Amino acid sequence: MAHQAHAYHMVDPSPWPLTGAIAALLMTSGLAVWFHFHSTTLMILGTILLLLTMFQWWRDVVREGTFQGHHTPPVQKGLRYGMILFITSEVFFFLGFFWAFYHSSLAPTPELGGCWPPTGITTLDPFEVPLLNTAVLLASGVTVTWAHHSIMEGERKQAIQSLALTIALGFYFTFLQAMEYYEAPFTIADGVYGSTFFVATGFHGLHVIIGSMFLAVCLLRQIHFHFTSEHHFGFEAAAWYWHFVDVVWLFLYISIYWWGS
Amino acid sequence: MNRHIFEIQKVALRSFSSSVRRQLDNKVPQKQKLFQVKNDGIPIHLKGGTADALLYRTTMALTILGTGYVVYELVKAAFPKK
Repeated sequence: MAHQAHAYHMVDPSPWPLTGAIAALLMTSGLAVWFHFHSTTLMILGTILLLLTMFQWWRDVVREGTFQGHHTPPVQKGLRYGMILFITSEVFFFLGFFWAFYHSSLAPTPELGGCWPPTGITTLDPFEVPLLNTAVLLASGVTVTWAHHSIMEGERKQAIQSLALTIALGFYFTFLQAMEYYEAPFTIADGVYGSTFFVATGFHGLHVIIGSMFLAVCLLRQIHFHFTSEHHFGFEAAAWYWHFVDVVWLFLYISIYWWGS
Repeated sequence: MNRHIFEIQKVALRSFSSSVRRQLDNKVPQKQKLFQVKNDGIPIHLKGGTADALLYRTTMALTILGTGYVVYELVKAAFPKK
């Protein structure tokens, strides 16, 4: 019987990288087809394929780690490096949008009235819903830390409660932000103010939704006894991502909502 | 008479609470046994059984159809009709 003489994980051949790549092809081409020929079929097909790929790929990772025991300490170390590198790449993604914001707001052109906020823009009061949103995300940072400690201490019920509370706070943020978007006195088409505001906060909101989904998967896994007090990297990765989302919001709040108002 | 009612209530409660408990039992050891069947040559994405195969076939069918469709749309877009 063949046994490996190392602690690393040689994965089984998998079709998901291929289906994921095709999904990306279909989504991007579909976007172009939608713009030019007004048909959304290709883009929707791509999105469905992407969702199927993500579900099956991550289902397989759970099987390999939790059910087959392949996530040994060296393997887990690699997963940690991977998550940190991914979050770092996302930091650079947001850095670009902050660069765009500061480029336009530090030296406002004559077309804007030579001032920031530009002439004619009614900004949102940073001490109303945006401040509430800040409190909501900061609180969710506390509850996710509570969840982590509960998992480490083997407190099953508390872990479930605090994780559920974190997700609820995430949904509350999304709901409040959606209301703000609906009620805002300016749109994405309102010059560079509108562009920088909605693109930066919009991508942030998308990341809040992604983070909430990640935490929701962790909640399901916690309910199904997947996590042990010593080994729960999936949860740690979700918590890191969540803290990252929180920090991005703080920068958005200080720069765009407060300084930029 | 009251004892009867009390006993029936106890039985009803017992079967309800045990079915709830059955749903939340730790099934990880069973899953570990299922996925650690060695030397069957089945890759992880199919090792869960029939549902895996169905989902895989659906995904692959959409992939192949989608590839064909995108090539068709791109060729169509490359040769615009006057």
